[in-house]
Amino acid sequence: MTIDLQKYPAIAAYAAQTNEPAWFSELRVKALQAAADLELPTFGKIRYQRWPVQIKRPLAYQASDPQLLSDVKLQSAKHIIIQLGQTTVRQQGLTELAAQGVIVCDWQTALKEHPELIKKYFMQKAIKYDQDLLTAQHVAGVTSGLLVYVPKNTVLNEPITSYFIQDATQKQDCVHHVILLADENSEVSYLENLTTIGDQPTTASIVVEVIAKAGSHVKFASVDRLGAKTTTYLNRRGHLDDDAKIDWSMGMMNDGNIVGDFDSDLIGSGSHAEVKVIAISTGRQVQGIDTRVTNYGKHTIGHILQHGVILSRSSLIFNGIGHIIKGAKGANAQQESRILMLSKKAKGDANPVLLIDDNDVQAGHAASIGRVNAEQLYYLMSRGLPQKIAERLVIRGFLGPVLEVIPSDSIREQLRDTIERKLVNGQRDE
Amino acid sequence: MSTLEVKNLHVTIEGKKILKGVNLVMHTGEIHAIMGPNGTGKSTLSETIMGNPAYKVTQGEIFLDGKDILKMPVDERARAGLFLAMQYPAEIPGITNAEFIRGAINARRPQDDQLPIRQFLKDLDQAMEVLDMTEEMAERHLNEGFSGGEKKRNEILQLMMIKPKFAILDEIDSGLDIDALKVVSRGVNQMRGPEFGSLIITHYQRLLNYIVPDVVHVMMDGRIVKQGGPELAKKLEDEGYAGLRDELGLDIKLVDEDA
Ligand SMILES: Nc1ncnc2c1ncn2[C@@H]1O[C@H](COP(=O)(O)OP(=O)(O)OP(=O)(O)O)[C@@H](O)[C@H]1O
Ligand SMILES: [Mg+2]
Repeated sequence: MTIDLQKYPAIAAYAAQTNEPAWFSELRVKALQAAADLELPTFGKIRYQRWPVQIKRPLAYQASDPQLLSDVKLQSAKHIIIQLGQTTVRQQGLTELAAQGVIVCDWQTALKEHPELIKKYFMQKAIKYDQDLLTAQHVAGVTSGLLVYVPKNTVLNEPITSYFIQDATQKQDCVHHVILLADENSEVSYLENLTTIGDQPTTASIVVEVIAKAGSHVKFASVDRLGAKTTTYLNRRGHLDDDAKIDWSMGMMNDGNIVGDFDSDLIGSGSHAEVKVIAISTGRQVQGIDTRVTNYGKHTIGHILQHGVILSRSSLIFNGIGHIIKGAKGANAQQESRILMLSKKAKGDANPVLLIDDNDVQAGHAASIGRVNAEQLYYLMSRGLPQKIAERLVIRGFLGPVLEVIPSDSIREQLRDTIERKLVNGQRDE
Repeated sequence: MSTLEVKNLHVTIEGKKILKGVNLVMHTGEIHAIMGPNGTGKSTLSETIMGNPAYKVTQGEIFLDGKDILKMPVDERARAGLFLAMQYPAEIPGITNAEFIRGAINARRPQDDQLPIRQFLKDLDQAMEVLDMTEEMAERHLNEGFSGGEKKRNEILQLMMIKPKFAILDEIDSGLDIDALKVVSRGVNQMRGPEFGSLIITHYQRLLNYIVPDVVHVMMDGRIVKQGGPELAKKLEDEGYAGLRDELGLDIKLVDEDA
């Protein structure tokens, strides 16, 4: 099928400006056509449908001025790639990775230099491009992203760090895609930082596909700090083959409304997903987080641990879904979701769901929503600590069980700092 | 010299009258003891002086150096110089013991004059040595998983580090073995001096052999019914509360008395 790009002038113009390969532009058109018949997905109790979460602005190439980053504090790292909007502003320590066959490159480069990988994996395996309206809009509109490929039997000792800074100084939507492909028996640790610069109201559609081949081990960590005026659809999906493992550690420290869909498909036998989420909602924002692990393979393990804190008039919804498919003998699905309320006006919702289609399995869940322990607060204050500091200490204790099991010291530290900052800012509106 | 003055204090908890007009004056340089039967309101008095929001003052006043503190929240009272070693200290998993104590000290110092970390660690080492505490206790989370006796020692450690004007010690001796009792008393005695006053609540005269009080108060049914010197504690130990009650002609039922 050949598609007449002239009927899609925005795509044609964008393709011309960025030298996009024709096969990818055609994929955009296919997704756009599919979108006409697709609907918004539902995520349990997260009611996001009326938010401006859909990508409505036409595809457009827009460069961002790297000078915008002059005041932004970025952690240094050995292997790092920094993108601002559609512009890649810095890459460091990637050539030594290339020597080992490891690919780390931005989206435009990936389309041109690694089309075979993109064709095979982009919205094909972990997520289908026509799964729903949001995924289709994502494919039609993607303008930035990252490809990470780690070859067979390659063990990387130093993490790969990526910064993606959404450029909201301009009125442009942000559609960003990441493919992290860990080939057989490889090991990689990846840290993703999502932030926003500028305060134009914008929509972000961010999809991350982690494909963990047999025997691989991926440590995925994120510190998400998208801006107050950014409405975000964030989908992170893992696809695991035999004996693969993904450790997800996600810090949801965004300031705007966000719907997060974090799924792991345990396809191969013996595969294992650990999903750790820490979320803090402040002001009037809503963060809805739908975390699912599906056990398809035998002896698969899926653990979900999510702790969140809500301040002011904010909301936080934790859906936890453990789904064991028939035939997944010996599978294990455990989950725990807890929310701590700092304010009477904040809303928290923790919904555990276990769907079990096989008998020979282990499954369990725990969920709670509670207020700050008054005795703890009193004790701390009775030694002279002001209330807000005392509250932050109680919160630290509450988040400790998730923080302590995050498998990286530096990420734990970074998350701890981010949490402190988000709480201090959030307490100002109390 | 500082003065803590409790005037005609009435306190209710959940609609129940607990304190029914307590009067008490103490100065720095003095150690006072309060004894009294279970359930007469000793902890209520301590918590109310400290500012626990669960206790409602219906009448009366509390002054620290002439300043009415009843309107001050608990953290402000702490920074003004009050300290309460609690009967049941809370466990806080979010912070290490050492970090917490340093935070508490610095909370009462100006931003530009925070205690240097070296000085802090030196002081902490010394205080822990006095209390026979292992170094490991400093790095553990605040009170988390501490045994009853360890929690009590930890209260005294905080006292020694924070150096308040007035410390109320609520049953600091309960749950302590004999050696620990001596250790804890050593800590409190080290604090003794013209800048420090303490109100010690205890059921056992034994503690008062180690920390000899200047004044002993007896509390019954929400009031202080008698005051005296250290000999009053010895007399109570021998004769019990029923004897004192009858001597004073009070119409009070004691918890452990048969009807
Ligand atoms: N939170 C509370 N809710 C209800 N009643 C309470 C509460 N706290 C204290 N009381 C009641 O107030 C009374 C006084 O209690 P308080 O703890 O002050 O006694 P106490 O003299 O310290 O006793 P003890 O020697 O046993 O420690 C008791 O009858 C107790 O049951
Ligand atoms: Mg008591």
